[in-house]
Amino acid sequence: MTKLPYERPLILKMNAGLMNKFGTRTEYEPVKEIDGVSVKCLIATYGSPVFVISEKTMRKTYRSVLQSFTTRYPKVQMAWSYKTNYINAVCNVFHQEGSWGEVVSGFEYRKALGNGVPGDKIIFNGPEKTNEELELAIHNNSLIHIDHFDELYQLIEISDKLNKKPRVAIRVNMDTGIYPIWDRFGFNYENGTAWSALTKIVSSGKLTLTGLHCHIGTYMMSANAYAIAANKLCDLAWNCKTQLNTTIQYLDLGGGFPTANNLRGAYLPASDTIPSIDEFATAITDTLLNFGFDNDDLPTLILESGRALIDEAGYLLGSVLANKRLSDGRRATIMDFGVNLLFTSFWYEHKISPAQDFTHHTEDMVLYGPLCMNIDVVRQSINLPLLNRGDHVVVHRVGAYNMTQWMQFIQMRPNVVMIDEHGQHHLIRKAETIEYIEQMELIPSHLKQVKL
Amino acid sequence: MDIKKSILPVKQLGIAVLNSYGMLFFSKNKLFAALVLMVSFFTPATGLCGLIALTIALITANALGFAKEQISQGLLTYSVILFGFALGATFEYSIPFWILLFVGSLLTLFLSITLNAILNKKGLPALSLAFIIGTWVVMIASKSFQGIGLTQRHIYWFNELYQIGGNPLVNFIAAIENWTLSDYMAGFFRSMSAIIFQSNIASGVVLSIGLLIYSRIAFSLAVIGYALAIVFNYVMGGFNHTDLTYYNMGTNYMLVAIALGGFYLIPSIKSYGWTIITVPISFLLVVTMGSVSYKTGAPFYSLPFCIMVIVFMYVLQLRGKTTSLILTPIQFYSPEQNLYRYLSGKERIKTKYYHSLHLPFMGEWMVSQGYNGDMTHKGDWGKALDFVILDDEMKTYQNPGSRLEHFYCFGKPICSPADGIIEEVIDHIEDNEIGQNNTLQNWGNTIVIKHAEGLYTKLSHLKKHSIKVAKGTFVKRGQIIAACGNSGRSPEPHLHMQVQSTPYVGSKTIAYPIAYFKSRKNKAFQLENFATPAEGMFVSNIQANTSLFKAFNFQPGQIIQAGAEGFKEEEWETNTNYFNESFLYEKENEAYAYFINNGSAFYFTNYIGPKNTLLYQFYLSAYTVLLSSEKSLAINDHYPINTFGMYGIQWLQDLVAPFFIFIKMKYSAVLHENNNSTAGDSIQITSMQTQQFLVWEKIKTNATIDIKNEKIDSIEIESNQKNIQIKCTLKA
Repeated sequence: MTKLPYERPLILKMNAGLMNKFGTRTEYEPVKEIDGVSVKCLIATYGSPVFVISEKTMRKTYRSVLQSFTTRYPKVQMAWSYKTNYINAVCNVFHQEGSWGEVVSGFEYRKALGNGVPGDKIIFNGPEKTNEELELAIHNNSLIHIDHFDELYQLIEISDKLNKKPRVAIRVNMDTGIYPIWDRFGFNYENGTAWSALTKIVSSGKLTLTGLHCHIGTYMMSANAYAIAANKLCDLAWNCKTQLNTTIQYLDLGGGFPTANNLRGAYLPASDTIPSIDEFATAITDTLLNFGFDNDDLPTLILESGRALIDEAGYLLGSVLANKRLSDGRRATIMDFGVNLLFTSFWYEHKISPAQDFTHHTEDMVLYGPLCMNIDVVRQSINLPLLNRGDHVVVHRVGAYNMTQWMQFIQMRPNVVMIDEHGQHHLIRKAETIEYIEQMELIPSHLKQVKL
Repeated sequence: MDIKKSILPVKQLGIAVLNSYGMLFFSKNKLFAALVLMVSFFTPATGLCGLIALTIALITANALGFAKEQISQGLLTYSVILFGFALGATFEYSIPFWILLFVGSLLTLFLSITLNAILNKKGLPALSLAFIIGTWVVMIASKSFQGIGLTQRHIYWFNELYQIGGNPLVNFIAAIENWTLSDYMAGFFRSMSAIIFQSNIASGVVLSIGLLIYSRIAFSLAVIGYALAIVFNYVMGGFNHTDLTYYNMGTNYMLVAIALGGFYLIPSIKSYGWTIITVPISFLLVVTMGSVSYKTGAPFYSLPFCIMVIVFMYVLQLRGKTTSLILTPIQFYSPEQNLYRYLSGKERIKTKYYHSLHLPFMGEWMVSQGYNGDMTHKGDWGKALDFVILDDEMKTYQNPGSRLEHFYCFGKPICSPADGIIEEVIDHIEDNEIGQNNTLQNWGNTIVIKHAEGLYTKLSHLKKHSIKVAKGTFVKRGQIIAACGNSGRSPEPHLHMQVQSTPYVGSKTIAYPIAYFKSRKNKAFQLENFATPAEGMFVSNIQANTSLFKAFNFQPGQIIQAGAEGFKEEEWETNTNYFNESFLYEKENEAYAYFINNGSAFYFTNYIGPKNTLLYQFYLSAYTVLLSSEKSLAINDHYPINTFGMYGIQWLQDLVAPFFIFIKMKYSAVLHENNNSTAGDSIQITSMQTQQFLVWEKIKTNATIDIKNEKIDSIEIESNQKNIQIKCTLKA
């Protein structure tokens, strides 16, 4: 007989509910392996904490999202949103699947080029683009999405100087019936600014107007908002064709599709409330197909989905550092990962599963990270089985934004591992070292010597 | 009246003369024609009469106002040459003779024009009927004229030879005449020369060489025809072949063998085999007519040949649809050309024979049941296709799969496979629960679309109330007309598609290919061209590229100026002829490049003209272009076998071509660079020409076609010998 695992003592309040013959049980199930690789093995090999990405899930999700659109619309192109996760191995999985690159800074732009994305398949978004970056983008024949008038004038000047006609689109913001309106990006549709920008682009004669772009928000809970957005873009495209005599080649509907991650404070679980990708696809494609474009003249539909493609494929594996009782009697568990790595815990209540067997007993607790800083709260209140020091947990759906918004604050960033389709694991980003962090530091000579 | 215009220019007269002479052997080969003309003067008096008669006919036809193009073909006038020969070989020169020649030539010309018009309407050739009738009329009539006397020239023809060529020519001819040849060989050459009313070995040898240069197939058939006649005669115990004139003995059989073995029929094992029947029949005709004409005094000449060919061709025409003994569809006046063009056309230009149908959905679907499938595609309803959508795990549904909405294909848009008119709509049948079948309303919600007379497609098991079109609506290809559903005999959502020749729901199916689609095996995509999707195949439509389409959508009157180093500047004008065939025409070089653009692909179908032109290079480089945005999807094709010449091997190939093809000229093109899905600025197509000899392959040429702003901008051609950079501009 094997030794039973030790379980720490627990005091439960008397619960006078109806008795049943099954006793109480938890909803939790241990997650002991990811794509066939055991969590124990991963932590033993790569340390704790460690990010793990499933290539199989990535490809499967990508194909299923793409299929949702391509079986409804003849011309669909995905563009991988670099800011969601720009680890090269991750980007290249999507590029292999046929995805273009969507970048929002010169840094991301160069990263995409470095990954082998041809310049003309990079969409350059974002409010900040320096002259130098724009020149690079123009030389590479990239698609430049203009965010504001100042950038429009800047671009006209540069194209004048280079004597080249860059391919441009404008980002449009609009009221789609949801709050907040993301009107800080792009030109507004309702007040006519967008139309005025389009007119200026065409009349300047210096730029080739090729597309229209919008990105109405993030974690959108309503498919209808996309139908409204698509309709407004179609309207602009139609006017460009009829009044400006310019055919809009593509409509970029951006991204913003939600995943099954629960939003903080949401009453119902996300899996019950978010629309499926099919519903978004239907809303968008129905609008485009029924707007009145000729079948041969349908604009290409570009999607910059990030979160919906990668969130599900990312896991964070961590370990329990300590258990604690707070002054008010609440239980607290300290993990070896905190908000430094799990940036999205500011708005999500991630699903967290223990990685080993446990009994049916659970306890409410606060989940703290390892940082010596008061903000480091992974979860104010979570009901988890009884965890001991050294136990492992798996945090689900962390693929999006965490590996780009993580902080080198107090702790350095850990390994990132990808499990390929054949169950082989590969290190795709090494844990940071002190040499790496200090590499960029310079010490003036008078500060080189320290004597205490 | 402008006199200058009405006179036939010398150059055109020359072409017309040569073509008329060539036509005696079904040829338009100028060298061969010149040889025939030359050899006809081995008996100068006869040869001269032929040429004079022809000239009279040509000038008259021109004066009457026949189109110069028509005259220069030589088709209307070759009979007149034969008439001239016949008269020259029979009568002594005299004033009445010349009058008779003049009048008779015109009679033959008129007969020729008339017979051609009558017979061509039935798809039959007039052959030398005009000559035969014309000559009979004159021969029989001449007996009433005192001024006409029979000639004895041909008995002393060496004297005449001496007059025109002196000793050397006489010696040359005599030397050949004295060759020690077997009777059969000598008979062959004499028979050959009999076509131009001679009976000497020298002429026969020269003509045989000419025939070989013109066509290996025709030459081999001439030998076969002659040999068959001899064998037949021998077996039947017929007359001694040396006793009869060679015209009777060999010529008719040779001509029958050439005409039916490889000229009016596409050369094949069967067409060769049938000469075993047709030559003996001609033999019987020759014997029978010989005895008749002996009594009337009017020689039968090539009448047995004419009767045999016309009758046999007419019989073949009355057959239904067939795949053997094909009558030459377009006459290129060369058995080799006919064969190679037919072979390449049969494989290539299916767009001529089939309406372009496309897959009726978007994205990638899988054929869950193909033609004659195991489940329901049986018997008269066997030629049908079922489609579903699968995910990576080969499942047709997500979640538990217990509800219709769980199935990937349920509710997906269904499009019209081609332009057409909605013929029938059923839209009220309830979608079944998963696992249920509705055998009462078997087809479920259904649309029948009429694309052409006798060509309907039927799409079934559609979603209830999803049909967006009404009976009588015109729909365009790709237009969304319904949604995939689960009505009728359908236990889980899928799309049923069939092609039928009658407009009813429940009509039986016909096999009909899908014009263009791509199939996927693992991760590799392949272009399928007029093929039927097979069960288990993952298929999707080809994404069209409007810019590429526009670049190759040459409109009549449009002129492309093309220039390259080392070439004279050319102007390619788009033209359409009265068969509604489009072609690029280069005036300077008289070059024609015929093409088809069916919206999905561009094909060059034929090139006629000199091979040192830029247009020819364009024809080779853009032989077949898929007008699509699909990168790395190669379109493969074959040139006609005689596109590239390596004389020795090519001739060997020609000889055995009806039986076995061992040289191939392959073409492959792929969309190389394409920024076009977002802006019309640059598309590159690279094409490759490969020569295959048995199993060995060699790349001959690589070409890159650059398309900018929806126009062909430049063509770069790289090969061992040359590097040509063609710059194209559209003439305003």
